[in-house]
Amino acid sequence: MRGPAHASDGRTPREVARGLLWASPWLVGFAIFTAVPAVLSLWFSLTDYSLLERPVFVGLANYRELAADPVVRAATRNTLAYAAMAVVGGTALSLVLAPLLERGLRGSGLVRAIVFAPTLAPPASAAMVWLWLYNPGDGPLARGLRAVGASSPNFLGDARWALPSLAFMGLWSVGSAVVVYSAAIRGVPRAVYEAAEVDGAGPVSRWWHVTIPGIAPAVLFNVVMAVIWSLQLFAAPLIMTRGGPALSTHTVSMSVYLNAFVYGRMGYACALAWVQLLITLALTILVLALARRAVVYRAG
Amino acid sequence: MPRGRVAIRYWEKWTGAEGQAIQRVVDGFNGSQDRVWVERIPISDIVSKAMVAIGGGDPPDVVGLYSYNIPLFAEAGALVPLDSLPGGDRLMPMYAPAVGRLLSHEGRQWAGVNTCYTLALYYNASHFREAGIGGPPGTIEELDECSRQLTVRDRAGRIERAGFLQSLPFWWPYVWPVVFGGRLFDPATNRATLTEPESLAAYEWVSRTAEQLGRVDSRRFASSFAGTYHSAADPFLSGRVSMIAQGPWIANFARRVAPGLDYGCVPLPEATGAGNASEIGGGPAGLLEADVIAIPRGCRHLDAAWEFVRYTQRQDVQELLARDHCKSSPMAKVSDEFWRGHDNAFVAVHDRVAKSPRVRVLPQTRAWQQYSDLTAGAFDAIWSGASVAETLARVNARAQAVLDQARALRQRRTGTHA
Repeated sequence: MRGPAHASDGRTPREVARGLLWASPWLVGFAIFTAVPAVLSLWFSLTDYSLLERPVFVGLANYRELAADPVVRAATRNTLAYAAMAVVGGTALSLVLAPLLERGLRGSGLVRAIVFAPTLAPPASAAMVWLWLYNPGDGPLARGLRAVGASSPNFLGDARWALPSLAFMGLWSVGSAVVVYSAAIRGVPRAVYEAAEVDGAGPVSRWWHVTIPGIAPAVLFNVVMAVIWSLQLFAAPLIMTRGGPALSTHTVSMSVYLNAFVYGRMGYACALAWVQLLITLALTILVLALARRAVVYRAG
Repeated sequence: MPRGRVAIRYWEKWTGAEGQAIQRVVDGFNGSQDRVWVERIPISDIVSKAMVAIGGGDPPDVVGLYSYNIPLFAEAGALVPLDSLPGGDRLMPMYAPAVGRLLSHEGRQWAGVNTCYTLALYYNASHFREAGIGGPPGTIEELDECSRQLTVRDRAGRIERAGFLQSLPFWWPYVWPVVFGGRLFDPATNRATLTEPESLAAYEWVSRTAEQLGRVDSRRFASSFAGTYHSAADPFLSGRVSMIAQGPWIANFARRVAPGLDYGCVPLPEATGAGNASEIGGGPAGLLEADVIAIPRGCRHLDAAWEFVRYTQRQDVQELLARDHCKSSPMAKVSDEFWRGHDNAFVAVHDRVAKSPRVRVLPQTRAWQQYSDLTAGAFDAIWSGASVAETLARVNARAQAVLDQARALRQRRTGTHA
């Protein structure tokens, strides 16, 4: 007598069907709201399409135009520069904050809450707060600098300062990375710290030789996420600088939005979005490849 | 909603006092008949949402847009041409001529007007008296001189009060060629005009102003007003800037947040020799823009929507709305009641500019938004000290590429060639 057919992992077709049934709400949602739009956007990127008119096939014309568009070139340059500043700055700051908060000092719980709180603020609200902080006339930063006899830069109004100022602003949302690092630090065996201490390692040496290698998988996760998020920078420059001065804070996501919903060039915007996806993918693969040797996963 | 009426959805961008004003119009219509009920829905970022709704086949019955949206929406067939509807061909003669131009594209009327505005120079009369200046400027040269006298610096040499800055507010960086007798676009040849002599002269003037005030300090000063417009900290309403190019709505905000402000208003000063006023009928130069009301393609209740839109185009209704917005009337004929007790004491100035034969309207091309953003980038670069001629040449080339691309698209879709 033949028994029921089994999948290669030992599940029966009935079990597989039941699993798919339970997963179907997500699968249907993914298909409708992600997979189909993604495929359609690839098609639209090969067309002239304004949302209001039927798409007209133009081949690779949008991609050719992208290559020659000075605004897109500036946006790509700015986005990559922002990502570099935001990822490096955010990672460094959170890797310093998390171990400090895990030392169990008095008030560290409150500080942890304060560090995490800004991540709960909607981007538009954060932008308005920072618009005030950066005000070169009466803003607290400008006043503080003047009080100590230093001249305040025009944070958002000077093309040299605007993008670094946005990257600095990005540091206020390191809270979620700090939480991940804190959890990872608690997973590093105490015995390793004690052994390092016996060997004469100081706090900085323990941080570098024990903490960082011990939480390397978490660092990799946060860096990859930070790269992905920072390459999508949109709300802050749109609200705070409108991409200026002189395009110095114009980003790829802003270009996608403007072309799609303001200029009536959805086809061109889709082409740009695909280029943005490829850049993100390439950088993510690069980070993963660079991390392959440095990150060691502990068994158990 | 009373039973038995056809309900229509009207998307409009205005909120606050301006939203209340259009609601009064809606209420007036709802009370004037018993067949249709209009529900006004305030919508932010209305253009992109209208594009998505119309493209997706679920548009509102009536939508409030900006006049510069008409070319894109008209070419896409996204609006119902009003002159195709019963009695629609009788609307055009009712508008001021320049307003009629704003509502038309390729020979058809695509929208009704829902107030219009022109820019004018608002000045702080107290500052003028304190500085011993006899009257407001009439020319660019006089404007520069007034600005020089009105600018106040602190001990460290930083600007405390500016006479006039073209970058405040940074909403119309493309307007300055107009006061030098230039144009924003050549519709006959579909050419960008940023490199024409009038544009060059206008942006040389912008660059000169930045140089005289200090490029870094003037930018810092202007940046400090980000997010303050129309509040008590507004550069003009707070007295930090003595002269500003603004629309008529500033009177509404002045009444509310700076009731003691002593100010006046004149047409934008012009460069000496800009245009030939006597030859083309006189009147001040300026720029006219309008808010418009349109019926989207695919609207569910076309007859009801048209009844409402036609109601809004009545002279008395537009006068009511314009008064509430502190604006001049967009209609050719204006009643005596409109002027009496108007909340903007300087509405006649805006009316004179709107009806001047020399008033310009925004370029009627679907690429205008992109063109305008490119101009903003050029203005920024020039303010920072970039070469005027080189910057304008570079931006003009990109703007031309955008215009050519838009025209090519139009030709491809209609099967026509220039």
